[in-house]
Amino acid sequence: MSREIVEEESPSLTRVVSPENRSLGALRSVRWRVSLSILPPSPSVDDLRRETADSRRRYAGLRRRLLVDPHVPKDGGSNSPDLVMDNPLSQNPDSTWGRFFRNAELEKMVDKDLSRLYPEHGSYFQALGCQGMLRRILLLWCLRHPECGYRQGMHEVLAPLLYVLHVDVERLSEVRKIHKDHFIDKFDGLSFEENDVAYNFDFKKFLDSMEDEVGSQGNSKKVRSLDELDPEIQTIKLLTDAYGVEGELGVVLSEKFMEHDAYCMFEALMSGARGSVAMADFFAPFPAAESYSGLPPVIEASTALYHLLSIVDSSLHSHLVELGVEPQYFALRWLRVLFGREFSLNDLLVVWDEILTADNSKLDKVSGNEEISGFKILDSHRGALIVAMAVSMILYVRSSLLATENATTCLQRLLNFPENINLKKLIAKAKSLQVLALDSKISSSLSTFDVAYSRSKSAVSGRNLSSGPISPNTPLSVVADSYWEEKWRVLHKAEEPRQVDSLDKLAPSGKRRWSEKVRLVLSRTESDPSAARAGKYKKGHRSSVRRSLLEDLSQQLGLEEDTEAGDCFDVSNIEDRHSVEGQVEGQDDTSIASICTAEERCDSGSGASVSEESSSIFSDPASSGSITNDHENDTEKSSVASNLSSDGNDDRHQSDLEDSPLPVSSPPEDALLSYSEENESSGKMVSASKESRHLSGRFQWLLKFGWNNVSQEASDKGVSNETAKSANRDSKNNAADSSTAAGASRPTSQRDVVDQNVMGSLKNLGQSMLEHIQVIESVFQQDRVQVGSLDNLSKNNIVGKGQVTAMTALKELRKISNLLSET
Amino acid sequence: MLVPGKIQHIICTGNLCIKEVQDYLKTLCPDLHITRGEYDEETRYPETKTLTIGQFKLGLCHGHQVIPWGDLDSLAMLQRQLDVDILVTGHTHQFTAYKHEGGVVINPGSATGAYSSITYDVNPSFVLMDIDGLRVVVYVYELIDGEVKVDKIDFKKTTTTTHSAH
Repeated sequence: MSREIVEEESPSLTRVVSPENRSLGALRSVRWRVSLSILPPSPSVDDLRRETADSRRRYAGLRRRLLVDPHVPKDGGSNSPDLVMDNPLSQNPDSTWGRFFRNAELEKMVDKDLSRLYPEHGSYFQALGCQGMLRRILLLWCLRHPECGYRQGMHEVLAPLLYVLHVDVERLSEVRKIHKDHFIDKFDGLSFEENDVAYNFDFKKFLDSMEDEVGSQGNSKKVRSLDELDPEIQTIKLLTDAYGVEGELGVVLSEKFMEHDAYCMFEALMSGARGSVAMADFFAPFPAAESYSGLPPVIEASTALYHLLSIVDSSLHSHLVELGVEPQYFALRWLRVLFGREFSLNDLLVVWDEILTADNSKLDKVSGNEEISGFKILDSHRGALIVAMAVSMILYVRSSLLATENATTCLQRLLNFPENINLKKLIAKAKSLQVLALDSKISSSLSTFDVAYSRSKSAVSGRNLSSGPISPNTPLSVVADSYWEEKWRVLHKAEEPRQVDSLDKLAPSGKRRWSEKVRLVLSRTESDPSAARAGKYKKGHRSSVRRSLLEDLSQQLGLEEDTEAGDCFDVSNIEDRHSVEGQVEGQDDTSIASICTAEERCDSGSGASVSEESSSIFSDPASSGSITNDHENDTEKSSVASNLSSDGNDDRHQSDLEDSPLPVSSPPEDALLSYSEENESSGKMVSASKESRHLSGRFQWLLKFGWNNVSQEASDKGVSNETAKSANRDSKNNAADSSTAAGASRPTSQRDVVDQNVMGSLKNLGQSMLEHIQVIESVFQQDRVQVGSLDNLSKNNIVGKGQVTAMTALKELRKISNLLSET
Repeated sequence: MLVPGKIQHIICTGNLCIKEVQDYLKTLCPDLHITRGEYDEETRYPETKTLTIGQFKLGLCHGHQVIPWGDLDSLAMLQRQLDVDILVTGHTHQFTAYKHEGGVVINPGSATGAYSSITYDVNPSFVLMDIDGLRVVVYVYELIDGEVKVDKIDFKKTTTTTHSAH
């Protein structure tokens, strides 16, 4: 037990306590249970005890019913079970063994998360007993709510609840020690010492003890009757008296029943306890049944968040929107775990105090709008406070957010909330915003907001989601679920190494060096076509390095043109080119452009960057192409690749989150055969490369295909539309940059030599592209055959319109490759 | 019924005859223990095998070496010889299970119902053992008249069966 965590009677606590609960002041668990409507708000101890006992009975019954151990014979084994049904190999779903195996699978999933819970407070949370309790609670809840299942993050919602109960039990034992005489069993006014084996009425001893009580100067207070006790202690005594109402089951602070109480609290929090805000909704990937916007609740809440922010601080809001920072990137984690990962445990408890004190009942909509047109989360005080809290947190880091021009840094800031914060100020601000949020004019303006919101992708994606898949198990839903968090986590990680990897140093490992070379080379290559147009050297001092690297590149290109590896090179070149270009040109340093390194671009996040870069590559080498043409391609390709990234994320999430194995299962030949598989494998290979850190030829091949094929999904992937559009915008910025930079040319003498090499490599590229286009077209023919057989997520929407758009995309590609070859 | 992933070990008395059967069993579970029967083509299986699973020591032998075939006392001799709690033998193509001298002698019968010169009417059968601490529950699956019949036998190991050194 980590005692240091226990002493956290923060001053804000007293502020929070409402008058009628003053006696419960320090007992957080009881207060929370009251707020969560598990215990009645009445001050009567008896009522509290009764309710406690009832809730515990319910849990115990549930546990007995659902936790199955077929090893243990039931009821003494008197009735022999029907062995035909109840043997371990039985296919019967009702059999004990079947249930046992199913539970075991759920448990495995839960354990994956539990092992990573609060490692900094590991002495409590990683203890076997605690883990066992958490596991059982989560398992039972999921069995009770099979429609939700277990999602990552639920364990973080549960952990503070259990912790709070634990703290109170500790407090109880402290109090017990101090006021020993009041907590000892007293029969007939006599006190039984624990170590009295045989009760011996020793009159002398009795007198002595009386004297002791009178004369003791020790740490026990000199009070006789209960009434003279501090009301808090008094309450504790009454609440924990084993002889009170409902006996031991009613002892409100009980170590024995911690699991039961924690389950009740968890259940109440998740289901919203007949109120408006239910945590379980935040884990649901589908829009709620009566939702107006058709968005999954967490997306809707994030939109509400941004809406409130736009009202409170429109400059910050517009800044974030410009950078392409979608609210759900960070809000998903904030909301799902109720800020559990943003604050330290003690701070979190204070925050939750506030949130749970807020009333959760549905507010009546007084406004004249007939339809249920509002943010569901703002339907209650608690929901409004949650949203306000989030906005207040954003405002807290306002200055650092406004300072950056880079979405990744913004997200970094938001996802790594600063450690030492003035919590009181934060909460006070949140409360003031809560009032604002509840203003009916705001909360019911969802419809107008959607229209005003330049990117109405949310609505689009929502509609797609709701109208799309037939079965609820399609990966499409999983995308919304995990996509945002994973994507930005990945981006965030990718960002750091990139900064380390400066262009100037050739990294140690061979692979890295090569890729660096390529990168540099490609940046040169990249800039040269534009140099051909108007010449530009952003970083002239690198030119000598680049030239040598460029020679390497062209050698490699020449050597391996015909082999698959050559294709890989091409692909990697193209990709590296993209990344480099992003680095070179990205003054803006948009989030997507900045993400690429040879390795990290393999991240799912970099899918978007690939799009970015892919658009760039087509913009630049197409020297005669107009800028507008480039932009079209940009749009397509960026949406394309963001789709790719979403695929990647999707599949990545499906695979083990902890240790994603190398899932590149399909050999390149297969990729040719089924293009949908490409998407899958491209997604997978994205994760694979992240893990393995080397670019297998297969990967690049597939990536290239994925990259090309993903263009077909451009119109259909509603979910990734947002990134697409933001990527689009960013790529527009990039292209604009390149054109402006092109204007400010800084030619050097070495350029001519390099030019020839560049042209050569471009020609090669053009040719290989043509080859690939032909391959894709052949795939299409085969693809028609493959349509019905695979249930890949791309399949759901793509097939019909996909082919059309794919063909147009291919035509574009052809044009461009022709241009390339001609140069 | 037998799905890959549910079984942790496979113990096979022998007479698989061809490698394909071994491969099939391997797909059910990678941990496979086989002893040599008189018709096995694979010559590298051992005559007897012992292994420890949980708290139990298991012994494995095809059984054609133990004469008279299927005789409990002779098998008990083998059990003492191998010093195991559970002895698994075959050859008779008939399911039997004896509790004997603090141990269990199990004959899972023939999984395929193959012909036997010493048994009439061979019913295909196999055995599933669930070892849990000191307790083993034996589920017997037999195909009788086209129906799968399941039976269960409980066996608890007494902890005092640690032999003193002789």
